[in-house]
Amino acid sequence: MRSKRIEILDQRPVNKDGFINEWPEMGFSAMSSPYDPQPSVKVVDGVITEMDGKKREEFDFLDQFIADYGINIDKAESAMAVSALEIARMIVDINVSRKEILDLVSGITPAKMVEVINYLNVVELMMGMQKMRARKVPGNQAHITNLKDDPVQLAADAAEGALRGFSEEETTMAIARYAPLSATALLIGSQVGRSGVLTQCSAEEATELELGIRGLTTYAETLSVYGTEQVFTDGDDTPYSKAFLTSAYASRGLKVRFTSGSGSEVLMGMAEKKSMLYLECRCLYVTKGAGAQGTQNGSVSCIGIPGSVPGGIREVMGENLVASLLGLECASSNDQSFSNSDMRRTARTMLQFMPGTDFIFSGYAAEPNYDNVFAGSNFDAEDFDDYNVLQRDMQVDGGLKPVSEDEVIRVRCKAGKAVQAAFKALGLAEITDEQIEAVTYAHGSKDTLNRDSAADIMAAEDLMKKGITGIDVVKALAENGFKDIADHILNMLKQRVVGDYMQTAAILDKDFRVMSGVNTPNDYQGPGTGYRVEGERWEEIKAIPHIIDPNDF
Amino acid sequence: MEINEAFVQKLADEVIKQLSSSEHSNQAQAQAGWMAPKRDYSGYKQAVKGMDPKEVVIGVGPAFQREIGATICGLDLKEVIKNIRAGIEEEGMVPRVVKILKTSDVCFMALEAAKLSGSGIGVGVQSKGTTVIHQKDLYPLSNLELFPQAPLMTLEMYRAIGKNAAKYVKGEPVTPISAVNDPMVRPKYQVKAALMHIKETEQVDQEVPIIEWEG
Repeated sequence: MRSKRIEILDQRPVNKDGFINEWPEMGFSAMSSPYDPQPSVKVVDGVITEMDGKKREEFDFLDQFIADYGINIDKAESAMAVSALEIARMIVDINVSRKEILDLVSGITPAKMVEVINYLNVVELMMGMQKMRARKVPGNQAHITNLKDDPVQLAADAAEGALRGFSEEETTMAIARYAPLSATALLIGSQVGRSGVLTQCSAEEATELELGIRGLTTYAETLSVYGTEQVFTDGDDTPYSKAFLTSAYASRGLKVRFTSGSGSEVLMGMAEKKSMLYLECRCLYVTKGAGAQGTQNGSVSCIGIPGSVPGGIREVMGENLVASLLGLECASSNDQSFSNSDMRRTARTMLQFMPGTDFIFSGYAAEPNYDNVFAGSNFDAEDFDDYNVLQRDMQVDGGLKPVSEDEVIRVRCKAGKAVQAAFKALGLAEITDEQIEAVTYAHGSKDTLNRDSAADIMAAEDLMKKGITGIDVVKALAENGFKDIADHILNMLKQRVVGDYMQTAAILDKDFRVMSGVNTPNDYQGPGTGYRVEGERWEEIKAIPHIIDPNDF
Repeated sequence: MEINEAFVQKLADEVIKQLSSSEHSNQAQAQAGWMAPKRDYSGYKQAVKGMDPKEVVIGVGPAFQREIGATICGLDLKEVIKNIRAGIEEEGMVPRVVKILKTSDVCFMALEAAKLSGSGIGVGVQSKGTTVIHQKDLYPLSNLELFPQAPLMTLEMYRAIGKNAAKYVKGEPVTPISAVNDPMVRPKYQVKAALMHIKETEQVDQEVPIIEWEG
């Protein structure tokens, strides 16, 4: 006979999640593997000749790239002489500044970094993040996608997302060939919701670069790096090719961040028996060495893998902290559906939410998850109010704010009309008033009208063929009644000439002023210091809907 | 679904077996690095570039119909191929199936198939069911259509993929197959996907050329 209690427990959502025991031979180990190397370094005449137990002639291309570009060689021997335990203690010691830590850690090797992180429990990892995050004020990023690749809905969701407080918005497509149309709709919609929001379109790398060069996106994020040579070469890449791609973006003044995360090497069957944390450390050293200002990491789309093994979610927070310890902007994932259990998915996000990261989510689904073409985010549009209440409960700045229904309807409608006008002027796909109306009041693509997708794809190809750029979009809007939005987009394009927003962890405020780790660095050093939620921002967070009015009784 | 459950159980058993054996002896621990021994494909007919402009080549993964018999959601791989072929034939085009052993990456698989195809259109199918329609002159990680969520695939969708691949050959304006999405696919299936992909990747052999595949 079965226990009724166990029967009930068996049916709980958490038991629909996938779990597996540690299996280091296949890479299923989170924080450490018996096959991880021991930390070591040897420097001869300014060149690292030995790193983490390997001689230079045994290096694979990741080792070589890291040894040549990822480590501060002048500091290497002295930093490696400090014990991992001591470094771990300095990370949580309020008397040691962020700058001192950055300086010291710049000289340690990936294997040593793994050792340091293994000394920290989750609370200490969060304390570390509170101090090591690059930008003083935390931020948040949205995913803006829908199953139909409907550009009108993209624009409306982008506008609403911007209104709700996201500093960056990222789109991708169900059908890859929609990319130019999606990028354009996102660019326009975002600037309707709040001026200064950065946008990107996750696509195949050459396409993504071209969209950036044309000014149809304002940053790039999907430069993927991996922790083993085999996975890298399988994707036709090397650390050197990624560094080259980074400089291609930099040459046009675009903000760039890399993407990596634990579990990808396991998923590809090429983990070389190493722990997820060690492989991710290698990725982050490559990111730093390639000159990228930041990373999107924290397992990202492979979260089911660390999520399946013991200590996996601690590891995810650990790798976020490694990014910050290396001085990189950290967009800390939380962007992929992770658990069937609401309790488990919320707990996972608290690790980044409470200390604050540069971007707590690197993709909060600002649409219902059924429309999230990244295969679902950890939080979606239906969680907006829960999230706002969490900010209010804990007096934590999660980057969002409550909004009114009137404002939502207004910006969604205006975004639809702006895209309609721009597409018409540019000779792209037709958008009807009925479509705009449906999208304005819609929750997701189940509430919108169908579009002619074959015609939309032709329009997307046309946009590329005609050589349409961001400036053409500005002109189209300015000449058709949307001078304010045209001004905003022109200001976004100007950023690329100024270049300040290429600095670490940069975002823009509504007046296009840069806030980065350089001009507004995180100066947390214990109680009474650093960023505190107060003043106007606290009032904004407090103002949730559904407040009891004592006068009603 | 029974096939699915049985298959997953078999995989899990394999994992447990290897895990427990690895605890007992050093020799077994060395073996725990493998889920299945590498298969020998010598003697198979090497695939050559097709000359028929109506041809669509379907490129299947290294473990296809050998180490792995059904997709992640339990669809028999024989039925999968039958349906893609049927879709291509219904549009008056000519299917050909090859096995690609030098990669387990579905985009590269599809691109290899497209390059072999007389029409320049190819379909790549991983053993776990992930599928891509590709064209020979596109970037490897680009595609005509991608079906990333293998757990949601049905035989009808594989048939529609065959039809659409054939339509690209004919140069008709093609309406892409509507995307499907289940945000909870990852927590449910990602570990299984990893295990199946590991099994497929173990069979990768860069030295073996593309071979004709009868199933």
